[in-house]
Amino acid sequence: MNELVLMVALPLLTAFLLPVIDRLSSLAARWIGPLVLLLTAIIGLSAWSQTGSGAITIELGNFRPPLGIDLYVDQLALLFALAVTLGTLLLWPAEGEQRLRQSTLALLLAGSGSGLALSGDLFNIYVLYELIAVVSYGLAASRGTAAGQAATLRYLIVSAFGAALALAGIALVYQATGTLNLAQLAQLAPTQLNNGQGLAAFVLMLVGFGVKAELFPVNTWVPEVYATAPARVAGLLAGVVSKLALLIIVRLLILLFPQPEALTVMLVLGILGVLTGELAAWRARDFNRMLAFSSIGQLGIMFIAFSIPGKAGVFAGLAVALHHLVVKPALFLLAQRWGGSLEHLAGVAKGSPLAAALFILLALSLIGVPPLPGFWAKLLVMIHLLEQQSSLYALGAWIIMAGAALEANYLFRVASSFYRREAAATPPAAHRTGDLAGASLLGAALAAAVFLIVPLADRIEAMAGQAADRDHYIQTVNPEPLP
Amino acid sequence: MQRFTSALFLLGLGVLIAAIFRNMDLAASTPIVGDAINAAAAQQVGAANFVTSVVLGYRGFDTLMELTILFTAATAGGLVLGKPRGDARPDPEAGLVLRAGADLFFPLLLVVGLYIILHGHLTPGGGFQGGVILAVAFFLPLLARPGTPMSHRAVSLIEGLAGASFIVIGLLAMPEGQAFLTPLLDKGQLGSLLSAGSLPLLYIAVGLKVGSELAGLLAQLAATEASD
Repeated sequence: MNELVLMVALPLLTAFLLPVIDRLSSLAARWIGPLVLLLTAIIGLSAWSQTGSGAITIELGNFRPPLGIDLYVDQLALLFALAVTLGTLLLWPAEGEQRLRQSTLALLLAGSGSGLALSGDLFNIYVLYELIAVVSYGLAASRGTAAGQAATLRYLIVSAFGAALALAGIALVYQATGTLNLAQLAQLAPTQLNNGQGLAAFVLMLVGFGVKAELFPVNTWVPEVYATAPARVAGLLAGVVSKLALLIIVRLLILLFPQPEALTVMLVLGILGVLTGELAAWRARDFNRMLAFSSIGQLGIMFIAFSIPGKAGVFAGLAVALHHLVVKPALFLLAQRWGGSLEHLAGVAKGSPLAAALFILLALSLIGVPPLPGFWAKLLVMIHLLEQQSSLYALGAWIIMAGAALEANYLFRVASSFYRREAAATPPAAHRTGDLAGASLLGAALAAAVFLIVPLADRIEAMAGQAADRDHYIQTVNPEPLP
Repeated sequence: MQRFTSALFLLGLGVLIAAIFRNMDLAASTPIVGDAINAAAAQQVGAANFVTSVVLGYRGFDTLMELTILFTAATAGGLVLGKPRGDARPDPEAGLVLRAGADLFFPLLLVVGLYIILHGHLTPGGGFQGGVILAVAFFLPLLARPGTPMSHRAVSLIEGLAGASFIVIGLLAMPEGQAFLTPLLDKGQLGSLLSAGSLPLLYIAVGLKVGSELAGLLAQLAATEASD
């Protein structure tokens, strides 16, 4: 199973060599990036069936954890590694003059994202998180406009502040336990992190890593960056990178922090995220900004879902996360041409009927209209929230309902403007084939999921069960016992 | 709204820090992994400088990512920083003191930088520190004579190949069924120049990469400002 490390190493190797390759042949430099990502995706897929029965661990450098760093490969981690690889391939952001540098950054995004999903060491996670942060600054500013650079600067400041908080949280954990290996930390957590210091460490890491996961209140960078970055980059950040940050938070929560207060903090911040995100999206008058705020709201739902204790929470949260992972990149692919004021979109259905139909399909699923997958995901969250017999969880359920009503209102408002008789004075240009094909592919996947909802739910439930099992994690890594 | 959010955030952070200071017992630190590494590093990795056994041995994967962060920052910087304007005049040549100083310092910095890189597994220092000194060695002449810039082709060639060789050395262990970044070669005599297996090779790659990257970035910054 050692070859799974190639999902990280090969994209990095290619990125390092890309300027050299470009000097030899610019045609090769253009194609090698997507080809390498395809290859790493195949490597990941070929390991898929083996992780079904049990997780695998890779001891990097042949040093046994906790002295060395290990990669922990369960189905959840592998799924996210594949998602970042395939997502980057689908939303390949290289175009125009700076193609070479953008390709390099895209490869680095895929490599570091895969590493982030697989890593089993707390400090390694921090380093990879920093790496993916720097990659996303570069990509977000790559359009070269002044507004884009100003938005990226704000993103950089918020994100660096968050990283400092996360590092402080890691320092607290290290001070309490003396180790950084997640499996060993999971062993020590019930005795050494189940206290005020542990809770403080969790909150610092939640807010720190939450910057990328668009957590309230550290999400102020989101609307500006998504409105000014290239739409494909916004799709990657909203669709894939935010879920990776969420994945880390969930892993830490399962393994390191047994105290119930941790769940309450996450629940409250999630509720505030849904409220602020959906209200702001309702008021937005710009297509990209509307998508950005709606993404804050959706991530709020995920935070609420993951705050449900036990396997049920992981299952419900994963369902919403995977749904959003498909829908949001597709919407941003449509935004490639439809970005800017919503007024411009009046009557576009006549010129581009396929894009308008796709938007409606995606919007319906986002709101949660049966029988689309978004409905089942939200239903799952609601059922488990109401099962909790606690007024705060019930409040979460009501807020999600209210958010869905707001979503329905603003998404239908946009969709109905598509079919207005009189067209806008300056209609947007037609979509490029690549963008439309990508969005159609994701839309088709969403539609196919309608018919496969039962087997899909079984798979996700099994994955959630594997991920929520602390003892399985500890036994798989089997860290060397230290005095 | 934003002001309210900020106030709420600061309040939360204040409560958090207060709670930490109330509860934390600084005297009761237990560096169990640190102690275990101190006990095992000489025999397991064979580098006299234990910091190097951690940086390139136990946590070599972290180091690869740190290296990548630097590379990413340079790439992203190149994307954001503009090119010099076509009509921009290059800065005038510096005075005698700086020119003579740069000429004198160049060989000295080169030797010191290489020494620190090559002895990274024996004494404090290593690829990162030595690489920065190498970068200064090549940037100093640029300050003295802005009219004769360094070769971007050479810099990016060294940068790419050095970074790639770190990963390739890591991959070489894999055909034999070993994990990525497993140290290769003979560990040798603890404390001698040729010891610690492939770790010195990794540090040479790190040093060259850090040096070329930083020199390139500094040169690009200097070029960006060359507008009047």
